[in-house]
Amino acid sequence: MSARGLIMERPVPGQPRPYEFPPTERTTLGNGLRVIVTPMPGRGLIAASLAIRAGASDEPHELGGATVLAARALTEGTEVRDAIELTEAAERLGASIHAEAGWDATSVGLDVPATRLEPALALLAEVVRRPAFPPSEVERLRDERLTDLLQAKADPRRRADEAYVSSIYGEASPYHRPAGGTAETVGRLTADDLRAVHGRAYSPDRAALVVAGDVDPAEVARIAEALFGDWAAVGVGDRGAVDDTSAVDRRFVRVIHRPGAVQTEIRIGHPGLPRLHPDFHALSVMSAILGGLFNSRLNMNLREEKGYTYGAGAGFDLRRGRGPFTARAAVNTEATVPALSEFLAELDRIRQAPVTDAELAAARDYLVGVFPLRFETPGPVAGSLAGLFVHDLPDDELARYRPAIEAVTADDVQRVAREHIRPDAAAIVLVGDHDQFGAALETAAFAAAVEVIRDETPGTKGPLGAADDEVGPVDGREGGPADGADDPGLPGTDEPADPGDDPDAVLDGDGHGA
Amino acid sequence: MPVPVVEFSDERLANGLRLIVAQDHLAPVVAVNVWYNVGSKHEVEGKTGFAHLFEHVMFQGSANVGKAEHMALVQAAGGTLNGTTWLDRTNYFETLPSHQLELAIWLEADRMGTLLDALSQENLDNQREVVKNEKRWSYDNRPYGTWNEKLLGHLFPHEHPYHHPTIGSMEDLDAASLDDVKDFFRTWYAPNNAVLSVVGDCDPAQVRAWAERYFGPIPANPALPPLPDMSLPAIIGEERREVVEDRVPLSRVYVGFRAPVFGDRRLDALDLAAQLLAGGKGSRLHRRLVREERLAQDVAVFTLPFIGGASVCVGWATVRPGVDVAAVEAAYLEELEKLAAEAPTDDELARAKALTEADELGALARVEERADRLSMYATLFDDPGLVNTLLQRYLSVTTEQIRDAARTVFRADNRVVLTYVPMPADGAGTDAEHEVAA
Repeated sequence: MSARGLIMERPVPGQPRPYEFPPTERTTLGNGLRVIVTPMPGRGLIAASLAIRAGASDEPHELGGATVLAARALTEGTEVRDAIELTEAAERLGASIHAEAGWDATSVGLDVPATRLEPALALLAEVVRRPAFPPSEVERLRDERLTDLLQAKADPRRRADEAYVSSIYGEASPYHRPAGGTAETVGRLTADDLRAVHGRAYSPDRAALVVAGDVDPAEVARIAEALFGDWAAVGVGDRGAVDDTSAVDRRFVRVIHRPGAVQTEIRIGHPGLPRLHPDFHALSVMSAILGGLFNSRLNMNLREEKGYTYGAGAGFDLRRGRGPFTARAAVNTEATVPALSEFLAELDRIRQAPVTDAELAAARDYLVGVFPLRFETPGPVAGSLAGLFVHDLPDDELARYRPAIEAVTADDVQRVAREHIRPDAAAIVLVGDHDQFGAALETAAFAAAVEVIRDETPGTKGPLGAADDEVGPVDGREGGPADGADDPGLPGTDEPADPGDDPDAVLDGDGHGA
Repeated sequence: MPVPVVEFSDERLANGLRLIVAQDHLAPVVAVNVWYNVGSKHEVEGKTGFAHLFEHVMFQGSANVGKAEHMALVQAAGGTLNGTTWLDRTNYFETLPSHQLELAIWLEADRMGTLLDALSQENLDNQREVVKNEKRWSYDNRPYGTWNEKLLGHLFPHEHPYHHPTIGSMEDLDAASLDDVKDFFRTWYAPNNAVLSVVGDCDPAQVRAWAERYFGPIPANPALPPLPDMSLPAIIGEERREVVEDRVPLSRVYVGFRAPVFGDRRLDALDLAAQLLAGGKGSRLHRRLVREERLAQDVAVFTLPFIGGASVCVGWATVRPGVDVAAVEAAYLEELEKLAAEAPTDDELARAKALTEADELGALARVEERADRLSMYATLFDDPGLVNTLLQRYLSVTTEQIRDAARTVFRADNRVVLTYVPMPADGAGTDAEHEVAA
């Protein structure tokens, strides 16, 4: 078949329309509450979020899960109304209030049509300032979390994620456990524990109200003063450093045996970097080339050349402490050992030689070019600004982003790969049918020893008797909305929707490998 | 806050390509979206999963674009992209900084015109393995992963095009050949079987000129096959039940029904019924099963809108540990039947509508979603203007219409009940059942 008159030449880009992150107004109330407003004319659905610097990494091990559970309990009733009245009041405004906590922050947010912003923010203020933590609702939430942990164990992806983090962090590190806590710690939590989190950590001087959309900043400031002006600070001190001690001093392999599994979930890596790091921009470019872009080295090799997987990727989960660096894929069982060889070869290759000019340009151009797409609507704008606040980044961080990405060189990429990726001291965690690949794994000798863990069959344990400190994360991606929101190009690990809700797509999610 | 009206142009090129353009200069971004009127319903026995496998091949290169270069070019342009396949359609889309619009139009035209120039056995085999891994990842290696396939199998008779899931079966994927790809392309991937929508920061006259320049030379297929008759009775006619042992810690009851087709106003009412039954904390099922009686870990109800014969309404309740599965099913069905017997309150409906309106405002704020809706409504209903009228239709639904829709659909003789239960302790290692096609 010939081209029959089709145009063969690729079009050249037109003149770019200048784009700047929308101007943002920042004020601080007398009690220290930051008010951050980004007017976006024409955007009638407003995104509002109250971000508090209080996360799961701030809690002691014995209270693991208290911060996440406290956030969820905020919408379970206030001093003024119960959970149902609260939900109904929000729904009448066309809003639903979401309260969540991640490692670094707690966030209470909503989307609401502009005409109903003030009553919606009043509800938001009510749940943040006057939660009741009714004991019966807290018990139910706690039981739901314990049941969720049982489900996590049966889901290969969640099982792999939890086994991975518990393998790479020391037991004293909060990152060793899921942000939502383990069965052991969650099982002990009471309404008083959650009330204590609220009393200790929810304070205006460590919080920011972020509002984006078609709003007038002066009007938002007036509403903020009326709703939050008399919120008294509780005088919390500095947040201590997060214990992010690594448990990986040499390469090792850990297999969670899952008889009959048709795929092996692979996680490879070690503790990575904190969000506040001078290598942030170079790391973003390196991650895009290694495992962020569709045409990343890992995805092109394992998917487009070998067909081992629906998607392979790698990235850094940037938190207040050193979050994990993870390379990941789900591969068909027979491909397990060959896939590991390819992963390790790619982790070596990006350290051993500079990336090509074409790879560098593609990654930089993507990260710079996608910037206006990310901030088309108010939700991501508010999320990014909340992220800046949580990490105490400067106001001009987003303005500096594109020039800083454009300045990254091939030498920078190689340097950060050499410094921050350590294939010789990486955990290799597999969830799959060890009977099928165990012998090949021995032969390949990726590490001195292979540890095999045999889970009990799900369903044979009592519901709440499954106390076991190796249970899974609340969600695939733990962080609250603030986490990583300002990190374009760093691949997340968002779980796609349940199959069947969504059509089958050629790419996974927004184009990152699994 | 009303949803802004979308102003658009709607025309056809000489080769039949339908072109829809809507300007929006709020942000310097533009969305390109192509819907082909072909989906897994066009597959015949022995070829299930092919429409989706074909969609993957569309990213393997064409006369002037190398393997996977489509993604490379769009991402290097600062864009995002994807393609999806579903029962009634296949779509491809890119969102880019607006000065890169011409690139996306050219890329879509090159593969519509010249895909077979680049087709190779090697690339087909590679994507076959990728798709098989997609099936393992999305369905086979996932708790409750078979529900979609089982539900469609029960709701639609064996000979109906909706009987099998879009992902298909492993053995049919293995059997797909280069000749299948060529036939499928020549039959369905023609400009007169496609809608191109461009939404965002663009000049409509320029878009029209580019569409003409790049798509104009692609010949129409004068012999597009008609669809087989997809009509079927409004109800199943019996209750169908299946118990499935799976590697899950908690039992889960799925309940599915045949529902009116997409576009039927009774389906609008059913969507609102789903919202007030299971859409959030204040909904009836959540309130009773999760909060008050604490029988369920979670509940859901939603519709899967299809245009041929019947849609699907489906939901589930995940049974809490130690709770009797039958008691959960009974309570779940009782709430559905209550809605069929008695109209909901005005307040319930008003809340459901307020949430629907806000969701719509949020969805349509993105150029990518607006472009997809225009393509969808043009392809399925020959009426892209639904982008402006569908919400009003939802907002005009009455409480009585919800009751009537529930009464029509939520009947025992129109019901499929799939009960997933934990595999017996000694049954580990029998994932094999997941590999069996419907």
